[in-house]
Amino acid sequence: MKSLLILTCLAALPAMAAPQQFQLNLDSVAAKASEHVDVSLNASTLQFAAKFLDANDPDEAKVKKLLVGIEGIYVRHFNFKTAGAWSQADLEPVRAQLRGPEWSKIVGTGSEDGEKAEVWLRTSGNKSIGVAIIATEPKEITVVNIAGNIDLENLAELGGHFGVPKVKPDKPHKEE
Amino acid sequence: MDWLEDELRRALAREDAPDGLAERVMARRALAPSGAPRWLAAAAMVVVAVGAGGAWRQHQGNQAKQEVMLALRLASAPVQHIQSEIRGITQ
Repeated sequence: MKSLLILTCLAALPAMAAPQQFQLNLDSVAAKASEHVDVSLNASTLQFAAKFLDANDPDEAKVKKLLVGIEGIYVRHFNFKTAGAWSQADLEPVRAQLRGPEWSKIVGTGSEDGEKAEVWLRTSGNKSIGVAIIATEPKEITVVNIAGNIDLENLAELGGHFGVPKVKPDKPHKEE
Repeated sequence: MDWLEDELRRALAREDAPDGLAERVMARRALAPSGAPRWLAAAAMVVVAVGAGGAWRQHQGNQAKQEVMLALRLASAPVQHIQSEIRGITQ
């Protein structure tokens, strides 16, 4: 009976282990923010939520499809009352972790109005096993870790659904 | 063996019930609580528990769904922004 209990605990360990791929240690940012949103969803919560997504609803069906292969979604979103309330140094604890060999920055953009976004990919062999997103605006910071295999094209496709306004392509930036 | 037969005959001999026994039994039965309402109450409790469990599960599921939507909404916005920036540059 005792060994059965130990075996059950050992079998449950992988499910209990957090697949979060880097620490979202943003306490200094949280201290300066006027509002913040923390979302941490592990594989079992995602699977549970997927059961309540309506496959006949086109939008929910897209989400359901997107969730296949995802092992966790971890989001920290901060709003600030004033621009300049935070600095890039506040994000250094996260960026330092992403400089590890398993992460590679696949794209980064910046605009004149202070919006910056970067996407990092975590790979194992030739397989993508995670994504990190850091998006900043003068009054907003969003840091995301999606563990597992995610199709970024499909993720971007969610724009325009669930209250997300579709972003129209900007005019090309002039090279100076 | 006669003595045994006599004993058995005496033991198994039909005897009339004491006077008023039937009335006393019926009166006791009327006073005792009936079994049916207990079963009914137990069944009702099971139905309520199952219903409440289902409603709670539905609530939890909807809450998890809303959290997934929120997380993907926050994650998709920058990716879509990057995509549109790249499209803007390449066009």
